[in-house]
Amino acid sequence: MSKYVELRTSLTDQRYLVEALQELGYEPEVCPEGRALVGYGGDQRAEQAHVIIPRGQLDSASNEIGFVRDSGGVYQAIVSEYDRGIGFDDAWLGRLAQVYKERQTMAVAKAKGYIFKGREVIHTPQGKKIQLRFAVR
Amino acid sequence: MKEKKVVIEIDEQGNCSMDLEGFQGKGCAEVAKDFQGSDVVRNVRNKQEFYIQETAIKKQHHRP
Repeated sequence: MSKYVELRTSLTDQRYLVEALQELGYEPEVCPEGRALVGYGGDQRAEQAHVIIPRGQLDSASNEIGFVRDSGGVYQAIVSEYDRGIGFDDAWLGRLAQVYKERQTMAVAKAKGYIFKGREVIHTPQGKKIQLRFAVR
Repeated sequence: MKEKKVVIEIDEQGNCSMDLEGFQGKGCAEVAKDFQGSDVVRNVRNKQEFYIQETAIKKQHHRP
């Protein structure tokens, strides 16, 4: 029984979210209880988040970027209009999801005993695709 | 026996595809579940190979 399955990545695991942010060059702060995000003027905003990129790692006029875990266990991004406008937009979130999914896939493969056969970056008109190949014992 | 292979492609929009080859029976669904995690399934289709195997099984059952 051979199948082809299409998925939409959900950010549900804090570990891979943090690792993905680190791979993109950030050192996120993890707040298990959640804390209010800090705005560009140092003010506390109404939004709370569990994984936070501090302002110091962003543009000088940026607000903190946060990820809040919703009731379904999925991390939702909180990004201000300003920060969306300077590049922390859907494309950035898509690249974050790409790195997250690669990390998660490699960890699952290792834990479940799949045999890693290779990684390739495929250039397409829609951007880079990461291809991971495994064999099953 | 054909090697069981999994090819996973992840794009920059956060979409992922899983191509599972060489499986027979329930193993395929189990492998898909391993890699799916808590992701949202957008589409699943059985590949041609699946239908060839199904036909072969049916033919065996009809043999006198």
